[in-house]
Amino acid sequence: MSRYDWLLFLHVTGAFLVIGGAVMAGVFNFSALRTERPSDVVVFFRFARVAVAAIGVGMVLTLGFGLWLVHDVGYGWGETWIVLALVLWVASNALGGIGGNRERKVRELAERLTAEGDAPSPELSARLRDPVWLAVSWGSGIAAIAILALMIWKPGA
Amino acid sequence: MVSLVRPESWNFPLFLHVLGGALLVGAIGATVVIAIRAPALRRLLVRTIGFLVLPAWLLMRIGGEWVNSREDIPGSPAWLGVGYSVGDGGLVLLVITALIAWWGLRHPDRRWPVRAVASISGIYLIALFVAMWAMTTKPE
Repeated sequence: MSRYDWLLFLHVTGAFLVIGGAVMAGVFNFSALRTERPSDVVVFFRFARVAVAAIGVGMVLTLGFGLWLVHDVGYGWGETWIVLALVLWVASNALGGIGGNRERKVRELAERLTAEGDAPSPELSARLRDPVWLAVSWGSGIAAIAILALMIWKPGA
Repeated sequence: MVSLVRPESWNFPLFLHVLGGALLVGAIGATVVIAIRAPALRRLLVRTIGFLVLPAWLLMRIGGEWVNSREDIPGSPAWLGVGYSVGDGGLVLLVITALIAWWGLRHPDRRWPVRAVASISGIYLIALFVAMWAMTTKPE
């Protein structure tokens, strides 16, 4: 196998970890939305840490081996699809970071409510259904899928 | 280097195939996490398999067959055989996993169904990465 083959495999592995991790996070966040008890919310948000780890590793692999591939194949650094992919990579990371920060605060609230009797809380429900937080979290995943589309169609190549 | 000179008409089916594969990895990953970390959440396990794993498999498989019909690959290369084995063999495993998970939901006193779901899903997750390695590197 050539160096190109290995670089492509590791790059695609990263992409699978990012999108797969986003799917896992989606499952756990959606499950948290459907629960009332704070302790259940805590459980789902703890599961989401596995997804966050997969996304983090995947982001590093996609960028590192993606840049190496661009250099190895000889694509131009200014080609439309490469520039757009890098912009979306930054956007996806930024949105994921903002979403993750809000998620941590909701988890901390759920942990406090669990310690105080584990009763359903309107404040927790409202924070879980916050449309801004949901848009940011889902936007991060959509940006990752858009990068996948760019990698396949390669507009401007 | 086929991906570098790919005709335009292959792009959409390839996108569906890769997207389906990535969604499948995430759905199977979620199944493994739920089965290992929260074996009591059996309804969620069944729903994840039924509403996410199986549709993702279908998307991956339809996209794969579509792109294969466009590519018209000569002969039967080993990498394609690995892809078909993991794809089609995977459906058998996934249906068995779904049935075990459903049986486990009906019998909450039994612990083995959730363990079986975790084991089979974990093995299939590894198989998916092996298939991905074969599909991207295309060894002779």
